[in-house]
Amino acid sequence: MELADRAVGFLLSVISLSIFTYYTFWVIILPFVDGDHFVHKYFLPQEYAILIPVCAGVAVLCFLCIFIGFVMLKSKKKAA
Amino acid sequence: MKHIVKILTLIMTITALWIGLLQTSMIPQSHTWLLPIYFVVSLGCYGLLMVGVGLMNFRTCPQEALLLQKDIVEAKEYLKQRGVDVSTI
Repeated sequence: MELADRAVGFLLSVISLSIFTYYTFWVIILPFVDGDHFVHKYFLPQEYAILIPVCAGVAVLCFLCIFIGFVMLKSKKKAA
Repeated sequence: MKHIVKILTLIMTITALWIGLLQTSMIPQSHTWLLPIYFVVSLGCYGLLMVGVGLMNFRTCPQEALLLQKDIVEAKEYLKQRGVDVSTI
């Protein structure tokens, strides 16, 4: 159990660090690189830099709201 | 109270810098518009990293667990001697 928790923690850290590195490259460094440089092949167009985080945020918010609603419904049933 | 003042000051500074960048248009506008989302994303990454690090370094105390089990057995024995049955609870 302890090892699984540790693995999950390590995975979360790695995911967050990789997302941060990739996004930093995409948003901060890429505008200063020439348009025909080969690095541009590895990144989606600029518009997706806005679209993907917004979509992910909306999805997470929806999930949280649904989860809270389910929990409230459950606790109401228990109390009744 | 102090903490929230710090956070508010940081947010104000970042906003002021961002508006300044927008006004001077030192770098193209389309890239300046990305900065707030970049801050939100980095904040999310920071939160995820902190959760991961906290999960990795979560302290478990095996010795304390053993002591606690011993204590429970001891308490059960003690209560049994006094005529209280706790084994079914």
